[in-house]
Amino acid sequence: MAPDDGPDLDDLLPLTRTVFHILVALAGGPRHGYAVAQEVEELSDGRVVLGPGTLYGSLSRMQEAGLIEETENPGEEGLHAERRRYYRMTALGSAALGSESERLMRTANLARSRLEA
Amino acid sequence: MEPASEPNDPPHGLDGRDPDPDDEGHDLLRGLYRAVLRLYPRGFRGRYESDLLQAFDDRRVERRFTGILGGLQLVLFLAKDVARSVPMTRGDTDEPRGWEMMMSDLVSDVVFGGRMLIKSPVFTVTAVLTLALGIGLNTAAFSAVHALLLRPLEGTEEPGELVQIYRSWAGIEFGANSIPHYRDLRDRTGEVFEDVAAWAYAPMALSADGRTDRTMGVIASADFFRTYGVTAALGRTFISGEEDRAPGAHPVVVLGHGYWQGRFGSDPQVVGRTVTLNGHAFEILGVLPPDFRGPVNYADIPLYVPLMMQREVMPGRDLIEARGSNSFSVVGRLREGATVERAGQVVDGVLAQLRDELPDDYENQLGHRLVLQEEAGIHPMFADATVGMSAVMMTVVGLLLLMACVNVANLFLARARDRRREMGLRLSLGAPRRRIVQQLLTESVLFSLLAGAAGVGLAVLATRALAVFQPPVDGPWHVAIGVDGTALWFTAGVSVAAGLVFGMVPAFHSARSDPMAALKADPDRKAFGSRTSSLLVVLQVALSLVLLVGSGLFLRSLQGATRIDPGFDDPTHLALASVDPGLQGHDEVRSRQVLDRMLEEVRALPGVTAAGLVDYPPLGLSYSTRGVGIPGYEFAEGEQNSLGYIRASEGYLEAMGTELLEGRTLRRTDDDAGAPVIVVNRRFAERFWPGESAVGKVVSTAGAEREVVGVVETGKYQSLGETPREFMVLPHRQVFASGMTVVARTAGEPGPVLGRVREIVRGIDPDMPVFDVRTMAEHMGTALLPARLGGILLGLFGVLGLTLAAVGIYGVMAYSVALRGRELGIRIALGAGRREVVRMVLREGLRLAVVGTVLGLVVAALAARGVQGLLYDVDALDPVAFIGVPLMLVAIAALAVYLPARRASRADPMGALKAE
Repeated sequence: MAPDDGPDLDDLLPLTRTVFHILVALAGGPRHGYAVAQEVEELSDGRVVLGPGTLYGSLSRMQEAGLIEETENPGEEGLHAERRRYYRMTALGSAALGSESERLMRTANLARSRLEA
Repeated sequence: MEPASEPNDPPHGLDGRDPDPDDEGHDLLRGLYRAVLRLYPRGFRGRYESDLLQAFDDRRVERRFTGILGGLQLVLFLAKDVARSVPMTRGDTDEPRGWEMMMSDLVSDVVFGGRMLIKSPVFTVTAVLTLALGIGLNTAAFSAVHALLLRPLEGTEEPGELVQIYRSWAGIEFGANSIPHYRDLRDRTGEVFEDVAAWAYAPMALSADGRTDRTMGVIASADFFRTYGVTAALGRTFISGEEDRAPGAHPVVVLGHGYWQGRFGSDPQVVGRTVTLNGHAFEILGVLPPDFRGPVNYADIPLYVPLMMQREVMPGRDLIEARGSNSFSVVGRLREGATVERAGQVVDGVLAQLRDELPDDYENQLGHRLVLQEEAGIHPMFADATVGMSAVMMTVVGLLLLMACVNVANLFLARARDRRREMGLRLSLGAPRRRIVQQLLTESVLFSLLAGAAGVGLAVLATRALAVFQPPVDGPWHVAIGVDGTALWFTAGVSVAAGLVFGMVPAFHSARSDPMAALKADPDRKAFGSRTSSLLVVLQVALSLVLLVGSGLFLRSLQGATRIDPGFDDPTHLALASVDPGLQGHDEVRSRQVLDRMLEEVRALPGVTAAGLVDYPPLGLSYSTRGVGIPGYEFAEGEQNSLGYIRASEGYLEAMGTELLEGRTLRRTDDDAGAPVIVVNRRFAERFWPGESAVGKVVSTAGAEREVVGVVETGKYQSLGETPREFMVLPHRQVFASGMTVVARTAGEPGPVLGRVREIVRGIDPDMPVFDVRTMAEHMGTALLPARLGGILLGLFGVLGLTLAAVGIYGVMAYSVALRGRELGIRIALGAGRREVVRMVLREGLRLAVVGTVLGLVVAALAARGVQGLLYDVDALDPVAFIGVPLMLVAIAALAVYLPARRASRADPMGALKAE
C-alpha cells in the first residue's frame, strides 16, 4: 500500500515524453500553462510544440493522476497574469519524475557503457 | 491613408488609422477556434475554455504565426492539436496512455483506409479526380493572384520600404512625374527618403550580331538600382554621380538577365561589348541578377538606359528639362523610422515650395499620392478592377471546389450508408464511437491528401498555360506565375479542410446511428442521410447555374461585340505592319522618305487595293487626345476640350473603308507646302456646327488653324463598348510622328501581303525592325480580350460545374432508386404501370433540380449586376442567358434522373415479393 493512499507510482511509469517534459518544466517552480509550453519547446529543442488542447488536456490528466496541482500566482506580473492558471508539481509528481529520471539514466548508462566497450 | 490636400495640414490629421491592422483577421481566426472548442467535452471546456483561448492568443502573436503564411501554419498547428487532444479529453477513452496509442490507431486507420480506397478503384478515381480539379484550379488561381497582387517585388532589398510617388491633378489621382519634378523631389526629401529614382518605358531597337529586334526597355535614373537594392550579376549597374552627370554623355546599357540569356546566349564576355541601340552606339555595362525582373511585376525588362540618354533614345522628344511632360514613375526608399504618412507631408511640403518658385507650372496640381510598393499591385489606378477580377476568379474557383466537395461528400455518404451495417456491428461489439469517427475521418483526409497531390499536378499544368499567355500588346510582358511555397501551403490547407468538411458529414451520421437499428434485417434506409444528400444536390444545381449564366452572359456579350459596327470594313482583309525609322536614328526628313518609300511599295503589291499610314490603328490600347479651339464656340467650365485624334496619310481612310459623308478625304498634297487641313467625324461636326455643313469651318489644333475638308462616319476608336465620341484625323504630312503603321486593304487573303511587307522594309533598311505584323482582326483581339477571356474561363468553369452537378444528381437518384427497389417492385406488382413509376421517380429528382435552379437564378441575377460594366450590348438580365441556360440545366438534370428512373421501372416484382 502506498503511504498516502494515492495512485500507485508504478501505474504511472514509464512517463510519456510530454508528461516527462512538463514535469521537468514544473520542477523549476510553479508556471502558468503557456510558460510550461514554452519551456517544453525549449527543453525538447523545438521538437515538442504543445498546442492549447494538448497542453490543457495533458495538464488536466496529470492533475487527475495527482502529479501536479493548481497553485496561486507566485507573484508574477505581466500580460493577463491575474487571469492565468498556475501549476506546481506534487510530491507524487516529484517522485515520478525522480524514478523516471533514474530509469532513463540507467538505460543511458547501460547504452553508453556498451557503446564504449 | 489620405494624402494632405494642403501641405500645412497638422500631422495628427493624417494619422487616424487603427493601430492594429491585423485585428480583423485575428478576430476571425479566434472566432473559428472558439467554435471548434465545442468539440471538447463539456466538462473540460467549462473548466479550460478561457485558458485555451488565452493560449491561442499567446500563440497568435508569436513571430512564426504572423502574416498570411503564419496564419495558415497556425491553422494547421491548431487542427493537429485539436485532432490529438479531443480524444484525450473524452471521459470514455479506453486508453490511459495518450497519443502513443492514438498514433498506433492512426497507423492502422491509414492502412485500413488505404485498403478501402484500393478496393473500390472507380469510386476512388472519380472522387480523387473531382476533388483534384477543384484543388488544382484553386491553386492555379491563387498562384496567379499571388504573383500579380500579393507578392512583393522580387529581387529587391527590403521591399517594404519602397514607396511609389504619384502626382495628382483634378481627375487624375495617380499621375506620373516629369524629370525636373523628380529632381526636385529627390534633392529635397532626404529627410524621409534614402534614395529616390525615376523610370519610364521607352521603345528600343537593339542591333547586334547582324540582327535587330525591337522591344520595350526602360530609361532609369542613375540611382535606380541603388534604390531597389539591386547589384549586377556581371559588370556593374548605374552609379549616382556617374551616369547622371551630363545629358548625352553616357551611352551605356544594362541587360536584364532573361534578355542576356535569350539574346546573347548567356555570353559571359558580354560586358564591354558595343551594340547599336536606336541608331546609337551603346556599351554594355552589366547584367542583372535573375531574380530582379524590373520595377513592375508583370514584365521582364530587357534593357536599361540612363535617364541622361533620353534624347538619344527617344528622338524628337526632350524631356530632361520639360517640367510639363509627366511620363515617369517615381519610387523612393524610406529611411529607417520614416513612415509613408510623414513622407507624404514632406513631399507635399516640396510641392508648396515649388508653387512659390514656379507658380505657372504648379497651378493645377492638387498634391501627391504615396502608395507602398507592396500595396500598389499592377497600378493603383487599376486597383479596383484587378482586385475585383481577382475576387470574381477566386469566388468562381472556390464555388467549383465547394461543388467538388459536395459530390465527394455525397459519394462518401452513399458509401457510409453501405457500410452502415459494418459500423453497427462494430458498435454493438463494443467499439468506441470515436474510433469509428476517427477511422472515417482518417480515410477522408488520406483521400483528400491524395487529391491534393493530384491537384498540385493539375495546378502546375494550369500555371504553365497561364505563364505562356501573352496579351496581344507589344512588350516584354511576363508574370512569374509558379506554384510556389505559399500556393502549396494554400493547397495543403484547402485539401485538408476539404477532407474534413466532406468526411465530417458521413462520420457524424455513422457515429449517431443506432447499432440495433443497423443490425435489423430491414433497416429504415431511406431516412438515413437522404435529406442531407438532397440539400447538397440543390446547392450544386444552384452553384452550377450561377457559373453557367455568367458564362452565358459573356458569350452573349462576345456575340454582341461582333454586331457592333466599328466604323470600318472587313477587318480580316486589312494588313497592318508597324515601323519606326526614328528608332534607327533617322531624322524627320529621312524618316519621311523611308515611310513614303514603304507606302509606295506596299501600294504596288499585287492584291492591295488601297493603303495608307496611321500612327495608331483603332481599337488598340492607345488613345491620344489634343486640345482644340473652335472659333465661335465657347467651352463651358469643365467641358472636355481635349479630343481624340490620329495622324494619317492619304489612302488611310480609303483602306479602312470609312464612309465619307461630306467633302473629301486627305490628299498627298496636304503637306507642309499646302494649307493646314483636318478631317473630322460626324459626331464632331454635329457637336460644334449642328445643322450646318462642317466643310470649310475652322478647328484650331496641333499648332495651326485648320480648315475642315471632310466629314466621315463616327466609328469606334478605343474600345468596341465606348459611347460615340468626337474624333479628328490630322494629315501626317503636316503633323509628323516617326512611328507609323501601314494599313493595306487586300482583295484576297492578307497573308502573302504581310510576308511581302517584311521584305519591303528589309529592302529599305535591313536593320529596321518591323513589328505588329498582323491583320486588323488580330489587332482587334485586344479590344475583345476581356470579354473573350471571361467567356472562355467562365464557360470552362460552367461546363465543369454542370458535369459535377449532373454526376451529383445522378449519384443521389441512382442510390435512392436502388434503396427503393423493393418498394417500387411492390408497386409494380400491385398494378402500377412502369410509365407511372418512371414518372414518379422523375418528379422526385426534378423537384430537386427545379428548387436548385430557382435558387441559382436569384443569386445569378444579383451577381450579374456586378459584371454589367464588362458586357457589350447585352443586358445584365439577358433573356437568352437567363432562360436558355436554366432550361438546358433542367434538361441535363432530367437525363441524369431518367436513367435511374428507367432502371427502377424494370424492378422485378416477383423478386420484391419473395424477400418479404
